[in-house]
Amino acid sequence: MIAIVYKLIPHLLSWFCIVLVLLRCFSVRRSVIMIAGISGFICGVADSAVLFRFFSASTSYAVIKSALGASFFLFWTIAVVAVYRSGERSTTVSSRARWFDSSFSAGVISAFIAIVSGAICACRIPVVDSGALTYAVPVLAAISLAYASLCIEKRISVSFKAAPLGAFAAVVALLLFSSSSLPRLDLFSPLSMKVMKGVHDFVHQFMESILIPDHLFVKPIVWKYIGLLFGKEVGFWGGIIIWFTPVLLIALAIGSARLPSVAHIRQGAQRRKLLAAAIREQRLQLVIPFFSIVIFAGAAYQSSFPSVEYWDPTPVAVTANQAGEIFIPKTGEINLEDGKLHKYLFKQGTREARFFILLGPDGQLTVDLDACAICKPDGYGQADGAVLCYYCKTLIPLETVGKPGGCNPVPISFIEKGDGVAIDGITLINSWVSTVQATTRVTEGGK
Amino acid sequence: MAASIIETTGLTRSYGDICALKPLDLLVPEGEWLSVMGHSGSGKSTFMNLVGGLDRPTSGSLQVGGENLLALSEDGLARFRREFVGIIFQQHHLVPYLTAVENVMMAQYFHSVPDEAEARFALERVGLGHRLKNRPGELSGGEQQRVCIARAIINSPKLLLGDEPTGNLDHKSTIMVMELLKELRAEENFTVIMVTHNQEVAAWGDRTIYLDDGILVREERLVKTDEG
Repeated sequence: MIAIVYKLIPHLLSWFCIVLVLLRCFSVRRSVIMIAGISGFICGVADSAVLFRFFSASTSYAVIKSALGASFFLFWTIAVVAVYRSGERSTTVSSRARWFDSSFSAGVISAFIAIVSGAICACRIPVVDSGALTYAVPVLAAISLAYASLCIEKRISVSFKAAPLGAFAAVVALLLFSSSSLPRLDLFSPLSMKVMKGVHDFVHQFMESILIPDHLFVKPIVWKYIGLLFGKEVGFWGGIIIWFTPVLLIALAIGSARLPSVAHIRQGAQRRKLLAAAIREQRLQLVIPFFSIVIFAGAAYQSSFPSVEYWDPTPVAVTANQAGEIFIPKTGEINLEDGKLHKYLFKQGTREARFFILLGPDGQLTVDLDACAICKPDGYGQADGAVLCYYCKTLIPLETVGKPGGCNPVPISFIEKGDGVAIDGITLINSWVSTVQATTRVTEGGK
Repeated sequence: MAASIIETTGLTRSYGDICALKPLDLLVPEGEWLSVMGHSGSGKSTFMNLVGGLDRPTSGSLQVGGENLLALSEDGLARFRREFVGIIFQQHHLVPYLTAVENVMMAQYFHSVPDEAEARFALERVGLGHRLKNRPGELSGGEQQRVCIARAIINSPKLLLGDEPTGNLDHKSTIMVMELLKELRAEENFTVIMVTHNQEVAAWGDRTIYLDDGILVREERLVKTDEG
């Protein structure tokens, strides 16, 4: 039970902050926020439990991840619209603002956010042996934290208002922070990978197919810069741009929003006082977007260090016999058929190769390079039902390990000989070299 | 009768064993020009500092513009001074490396936001439209005091306090400053409390109170003719 509570800390912390932000945003609807929020959180936990009980884990995660993806997409849309409209000055309360300030909208928005938050939280509870009591832990904690948020929010100065845009940024940031500790719900790593693959594909198709060879303008020096686009970091930095741009746009929209007109006030001091109050309020409204930037940064950082428990074996050095064959016994100091990933390091002269042996769910052994054809060769660890790429944090189901392509570890041919596994050393080294060269040469300036 | 802007009951201020102001009961109606006279050490400046929120009383009650100054926090007192009070000092206290208009804008800055056009207009009102870009060192004593007046009224205070504002000025400049204050008061309708040694300056007020050793000993109401 204590272990579960410990695991839930980032999620509950996010929930606490979400309630605080919502209460501040709809400060005249506190009771509605509390009721809708707590009910939503309970529904979220229940929904998640039902999903995992009646559907496969991948389907359940896909549903929750879709909700997160949709919220991030909506965030982007709202940020762009907000910047576009930031130059407008509204002198009257618009119908949109009236709708936004109603109890109904406050309740619906809070409930939806709470459902997603509750569902993410419940994903940290192990499906096996999870009874109603286990699910009661996050629910009780969430109720207590919501009440604590209410108490704290009442003590915050009334002049510190949360603009709806800033509040939305904070809520999305907190939901993504909460989900980033779960590799199957994390958005940042897949986003970076998509960016990297997109850029690589574009550069490959456009530059190589169209411009190469012998283009007048594409001189060798140009390839030095085009090579940067092939680099591994392009995914990370591209992901960072997509990750942070909407919250920066929201901060820009709030910061550049036109101040209310005070020209009709005749007395100078009174006019300046109102203007100063508006400027101060605008500056205070920037606090929450900047807080969101920190949370987004935390989510990106956390996605690099997923908090799944994974098996991370140290490579065991192996050598080849005179025939150039590496022979690894199935039993002995290491049991190859224990279902765990076993990592090895083979050195031949100045060259070396890392590989692992794993017993698949089908009962067959597989030998694979500790690298794939796409990522930097940071290697793999073993998570629950999957292997985890240390570079892109992609979880590859054990069922697909041993099959070539994509993010899968590159399979190596081997022979089961009696009580062991035999691998050809030359084949292994050549395979490693060609794979690693393909995935690292671009960092050295392209072709 | 106009409502009171200042109400004191049993107001005292002691510095250790020295009682600078002994229990003082006083009402100042809104819009009145009150002159405070007395010898050095009689408690004039102590009284002015108390009603201006620059100092806190030792005992008694002090209501200024409906605010109980004893109950205000330091922030509340700062807000009160910022929004309610304008002060003119004998020594001007202008920032020497800022121009006249910048000195006035500084008061705007601490109140809310600076507005150069409004600051220029305030200086034009006090007859310094041609001296906007001059620093205090380039201005005469009377001109410096007029910058101080512009600075004091720029935030539309309800209460204008003057601590010997003409103490350093010659007779001609004194008359000029007092006439200016009179005109501004007629336009803005603020209450004036003027601490002075000078009987002639005190005579510009509606009422004069005399303090001696921290005690209100006498008060005179001036009856003005139509000719002033």
